[in-house]
Amino acid sequence: MQLWQILLIALFIYLGSIGSIIGNTLGWYTLGRPLIASLVVGLIMGDVQSALVVGIPLQIMYMGSVTPGGAVAWDLSYATYIGVAGALFLGQGMDTTQLIGLGVLFAGIGGFVGQLMWNLSYACNLPLNLVAERYAKEGDAKKMYIPNTVLGQLIGFACRFIPAVILLFSLSAASSQADFANMIPAWLMTALTVFGGMMASLGMGIILSFLLKKKYQLVIFLAGFILVTYFNLDMMAVAVTAIIASVLYFVSISKDSTNSAEGEAYND
Amino acid sequence: MTKKLSAKTLKKSFLNWFFFNGCSQQAESMLGMAFGQSMAPVIDELYDTKEEKSEALQRSITLFNTEAQVGSICNGIVCGMEEANANGESTPGLIESVKVALIGPTSAIGDSLWVATIIPILLTIAISISQAIPSAPWVGPVLYMVAYPLGTFYLSWYLFKLGYRSGLEGMSAFMASGKLDKLTDSMTMLGLIVTGALTASYVSVSVPIKIVKDILDPSTGEMLKDQVLFDADTMLNNIFPALLPLLLTLGVYHLYTKKHWSPIKLMGLILVMALALTGIGYWTGFYA
Repeated sequence: MQLWQILLIALFIYLGSIGSIIGNTLGWYTLGRPLIASLVVGLIMGDVQSALVVGIPLQIMYMGSVTPGGAVAWDLSYATYIGVAGALFLGQGMDTTQLIGLGVLFAGIGGFVGQLMWNLSYACNLPLNLVAERYAKEGDAKKMYIPNTVLGQLIGFACRFIPAVILLFSLSAASSQADFANMIPAWLMTALTVFGGMMASLGMGIILSFLLKKKYQLVIFLAGFILVTYFNLDMMAVAVTAIIASVLYFVSISKDSTNSAEGEAYND
Repeated sequence: MTKKLSAKTLKKSFLNWFFFNGCSQQAESMLGMAFGQSMAPVIDELYDTKEEKSEALQRSITLFNTEAQVGSICNGIVCGMEEANANGESTPGLIESVKVALIGPTSAIGDSLWVATIIPILLTIAISISQAIPSAPWVGPVLYMVAYPLGTFYLSWYLFKLGYRSGLEGMSAFMASGKLDKLTDSMTMLGLIVTGALTASYVSVSVPIKIVKDILDPSTGEMLKDQVLFDADTMLNNIFPALLPLLLTLGVYHLYTKKHWSPIKLMGLILVMALALTGIGYWTGFYA
């Protein structure tokens, strides 16, 4: 692996992390999503096809990692860029299942490092409040960007970019040292595949916690479930069906309220 | 003479927020400094003396937190209130209390309606497209990269302007009209169906229990090699397809919401279960 590839991937790890300079919409919620991250790594490494083979299962596993703050299970940006890059570096000559297993393993390692770095930057940002308070006291509106954008991002960049470069260098060094396809025992690969398949439930469980507000709504969840298991629809077909159902539902509940409003008008 | 914020300043305030809202997140003021940066051009334009600016800036960097993309409505509302304050129609105390009051509802709407519903749905559609075109799987992620940021940018900018124009009254009128609840209910329905389908498609758990034996065929007297006498996984799936993935997902949901397990703890539990299942699988000859 070339130096420029390592630096470029590390740069994207920083851009895709929470609160990078390009904003959470473009960063954390776009570049930080495993599906997008795997495309970026694939382009940098020149193997988009294999990158997406790893990226799609990772995306499903981490579907529930959406909100910064309380519910950050894992630093997603670190997890997926390291996971996909690790699988591509070390997975030469492996079949699809093994490649995914390797991706899951490195995503775990990357996510763990990322989590430490997130906590570090979270702590390092604290003194910035003093800087902001000083400029505010002086009424210096033109300088309010300094504590937030300039200092905050110096810390953010240092916490994301540097450890990422170190991590990627170690991966790259390891890949030239040993033949991982034969080194990793078969049982570990099986366990990682089993783990990956089960981890998808974490993503789904967390999303359900946002969506389920009333008990009866569990039935709607089951409806989507059986559309796949009994009716064998693919995801695209389910998505279209779901959009139609929710539009009809919206129209019907909107109608109800206008009718009752008219009814009340009658009673007056 | 009444003061009025120029369109340029409002745009600057919005862009400062949209791009830099997470730049200095920490436990003390959360997004406070970012909010201050967003308010800085507004304050600079509205107030003349250093004392006024200083006071306004100090109240702009206090504790603030929200789901930032939908939360741009808060910035809009506070812009409107600062303008009113500069014209003597509002008070600093009111601005501060409104700002704090907005934290709860805007984070709730942002997290559940936008982030937890729209993102998974868009990603799911992107994944489906990638899988539908095996020769060009990059189409899916590229579509997401265009659709999500653009859509969110317009929504965020619209909400910012809405907040500025109609203020707190406008927002509460909108919320009281029940339109938002209906929209949320419908989006929730969409989200739940898609989540159900995703669970069925991608969560996988097997019971790796299989009894394989060589048995004697009584009619011919031959020994039949490697006959599967019992396969727990196939049996379960014949009764209810993908029953175990469903139960696992509901179990995780239960532990996460009702028992307040952290995601890391859940991850650990899943890892232990995966190792145990792999062990059982090798022991009964399901793998290998």
